[in-house]
Amino acid sequence: MNWDRRAFVKFAVGAVVGIHASPLVPKLMDDSAIWTQNWNWVPTPEKGALAFANSVNPETGTGVRARLIKGRLQGERLIKVEGNDEHPASRGGVAPLDIAAPQNMYYGDFRVQTPLIWDPLSGIHKAATWDQALDVVAKKLAELYKAGQGQTLAAIGDDGESVTGEILSRFMAAYGSPNLAFMPSAKQTLALAGWAMLGERNLGFDLDNAKYVVSFGTPLLEGFGSPVAVRKAFAGWRQDYKHTGTLVQVESRASVTASQADAWLACKPGAEAAVALGMCQVLVSQGLYDKGLAEGALGFGDTDKGKGFKALLDAQYTPAKVEALSGVPAKKLTETAVAFAKAAKAVAVCGPGNAGEPGRLFDFMAVLALNCLKGNLGKEGGLVVRQPLPLKPLGEALAPVAKPRLDALAGKRLVNGYDPLSLAKAALAGAPYKLGALLVVNCNPAYSGPQASQMAQMVKAAPFVVAVSAYLDETAKMAQVILPSGTWLESWGDSLTPYGSPVSLYGLHRPLVNPYPQAQSAGDALLALAAKLGGPVAQALPFATTEDALKARTGGLGDFAKLSQQSWWAQAKPAYGAPAMKTPSGKLEFFSMGLHNLLTAKASDGAAMDKTLKSLGVTLSGSAALMPHYEPIAASGGHGKLVLAASPGLRTSAASQTTAPWQVKVLDNTVLIHGKDLVVEINPATAAELHLREDDKVRVDSVAGGAEARVHLFAGVAPGMVYMPVGLGHYAPANAYTFERGGNYNRVAEATADPLSGTPVWSLTQVAVTKL
Amino acid sequence: MTTHEQGQAKRSPADWLLFVVGFVLFSALGFWGTPALLYAEKPQPFQFSHKLHMEQVSDGCKSCHYFREDGSFNGIPALEKCKDCHSDSPMGDTPEEKVFVEQYLNQNRDVPWLVYARQPDCVFFSHAAHAENAGLECAKCHGEHGGSTSLRRYEYNRLTGYSRDIWGWNILGLGGPPKRMKMDDCANCHRDNGVRDACFVCHK
Repeated sequence: MNWDRRAFVKFAVGAVVGIHASPLVPKLMDDSAIWTQNWNWVPTPEKGALAFANSVNPETGTGVRARLIKGRLQGERLIKVEGNDEHPASRGGVAPLDIAAPQNMYYGDFRVQTPLIWDPLSGIHKAATWDQALDVVAKKLAELYKAGQGQTLAAIGDDGESVTGEILSRFMAAYGSPNLAFMPSAKQTLALAGWAMLGERNLGFDLDNAKYVVSFGTPLLEGFGSPVAVRKAFAGWRQDYKHTGTLVQVESRASVTASQADAWLACKPGAEAAVALGMCQVLVSQGLYDKGLAEGALGFGDTDKGKGFKALLDAQYTPAKVEALSGVPAKKLTETAVAFAKAAKAVAVCGPGNAGEPGRLFDFMAVLALNCLKGNLGKEGGLVVRQPLPLKPLGEALAPVAKPRLDALAGKRLVNGYDPLSLAKAALAGAPYKLGALLVVNCNPAYSGPQASQMAQMVKAAPFVVAVSAYLDETAKMAQVILPSGTWLESWGDSLTPYGSPVSLYGLHRPLVNPYPQAQSAGDALLALAAKLGGPVAQALPFATTEDALKARTGGLGDFAKLSQQSWWAQAKPAYGAPAMKTPSGKLEFFSMGLHNLLTAKASDGAAMDKTLKSLGVTLSGSAALMPHYEPIAASGGHGKLVLAASPGLRTSAASQTTAPWQVKVLDNTVLIHGKDLVVEINPATAAELHLREDDKVRVDSVAGGAEARVHLFAGVAPGMVYMPVGLGHYAPANAYTFERGGNYNRVAEATADPLSGTPVWSLTQVAVTKL
Repeated sequence: MTTHEQGQAKRSPADWLLFVVGFVLFSALGFWGTPALLYAEKPQPFQFSHKLHMEQVSDGCKSCHYFREDGSFNGIPALEKCKDCHSDSPMGDTPEEKVFVEQYLNQNRDVPWLVYARQPDCVFFSHAAHAENAGLECAKCHGEHGGSTSLRRYEYNRLTGYSRDIWGWNILGLGGPPKRMKMDDCANCHRDNGVRDACFVCHK
């Protein structure tokens, strides 16, 4: 035996075979794979005790359970938002906006982390302490106040019903400015329609128990009221693959709701109310209506004073006439109306528009009239009256501000509302006086509108802007002083019953974690500012914190500690039974005495009334003008041949909570294409007339503004229309994920005032589409 | 006879012995060297007798390892649980209890027990689903401990940091629970019992 090359090779081969026969290789491979999971730069949450805390997202009304890790060196961390099984409305479900909240909260680059003051010399916002920032604001406001110019301060808030809204209202009233506007919402329109016909502002649809639902142009499954609650009700209509409830969608586009519905009545854009009135006519003409309620109502039959609602229906809304108005075949309309009338538990639903806009008063009244004729008022699965939330005011009512409003339209309106758009228009016109300072609290009007371009101009033109904001968004970056507010997961606040809920709900949110300790509740920022200003403002707000204000507010809801742990309060069950009519006549009113009284305050005789109505944009005259009727929408603009409408989606947010980074990633090719191009839907026939093909790049322009987009041909949309998704087209560079992704619907849509209510509506806008 | 054939003839079968030596040496290195190289022992904070405790408590294992009201499992009891029985002064006279009282109880520190069955973070596991719903015996995965007078040797993998119990003490990785707690063991049991074994059942 020689130890030569060959012998060595034999030994080496033996060694290699031997080592492979041992478990060394598979074992090391397995361990190496596991080792890669534990590299120290792989992000894993630090170990700590798991804890859960309840909260309610004010944006969606969803009751959530937030999962937290405690006992970490870097402080507590919120890792997930889950559904809360015990919440009576959302019942364990969550919406995309709920689960997106932690990502938004921890988005450090986009968050306002400290108070910021604009430095004109360097042209950037510079970090400051709360004291410094509040001093700058208090100094400016004190100057205006002392000069007797208190009314030149204007404020825009997100939700007037919330505790923050009430603090802001008291702040402005005590400071002496009437110029306060909140974001318009469909809650206002439904409350107004309910007040006009039933004398009742708290109306809801008992969707959970309904078996036949007709939705008039509302995005029922794409962001109606509390989206999770509506989806839960829908799940109840589709059990075990059986259709246990019928959904009929009346809409001009084959939307998600329309595609999920049992029947889709494709109507002309904006003509949904005509369809509702056509159904009313069928019910009445076939004797399928609640005769007791209708005959006893004011303005149903003819009287010596004039023709009633019944005569109006017969004259203008027969199925044949409605077919001409809406494009819905008379036969189909009649069949649907009969099925609706015969169904045991049926409800007709009106709601926010596809862009989240507040809807039109007459449309809502037409749907309420249909429900009343069906006789489902106060019945299970019908239209129900909610018990008002037992909340207490934050103090004695303050005297109304005597100074004149900046909004010159105020005197002309029938309903004494105030909205951000008329405020912006008046501020830009500079009459009757100029704007001295602007306070924007927890909202982003420069992006979300109404009519974003106008709102952005107002913010830009205002001499001094204070933004209380959680994010460095479009509005905040134009402000002189930015005060950091916390998101709903890290601050005190509340939210009231979501739109259309059959029971009253109260949602309370409290600080669960505190990643940016400088961020405070928006209410706290206002309270601190009030304390700095002193005088009547401080007296009107004698609270140290929002938590104290909430304690005072929720005095009627039981123990505060318990309430804040539970995070919600709910009316036990819908209040069934015929409601007491609180109208001036004490009856159901098809002819609204409430609206009539408002009108007689402005016009003395019939001719003057007709003139006033005409100036408000009401097309009918006489008593019919104050009854539920169809007002054709004159698409605003007078610019171009096509009409722009919104297509809704739960994956983007058009409102105050911003679209989170991951939400942009889950958008499909019918919303955002090539990573950054907005997609608009056009009917193939319309596209052929305009010589447009799939994926062509176009510009959509209105008098308000424009956006670039790619064309998607879709036969499910009405001809002559352009449908644009909402919630994209941000231009605040701090959010790298939404920055310049797509175009903003709110910059293209022009808002007009709804006849009578004066609320801005922006559902249809005339546009020109140019191929690029 | 060619030169090449002459070279072959010179080689005796004993030459092949070198192949065998290489094979045996290196496979032995693989078998015995691998665990020696990979695993290191870590001492538990102090010794603990399950047997002694079982004699003292009224409700058997469940006295300390129980399901909480919310369904989560109190696997390794926290100090608060120990305090139910233990007070400032030792109850017995073992040196282990003295360490416990002086170093942990009096200083209000949780005992940093080394957990034999700790699985990676990427795995979701619910005791309630297995022990309550499926009715599995604890010993099926953890082995019998109730009568032990001392804690087993704890070894961890130097590369991964996990307990040696996961791969199993047999370096070939043979056997199943309670000798081994790898993913395949979970999947096999799920499959055998008709429970879903899709990835997201555990890797959520």
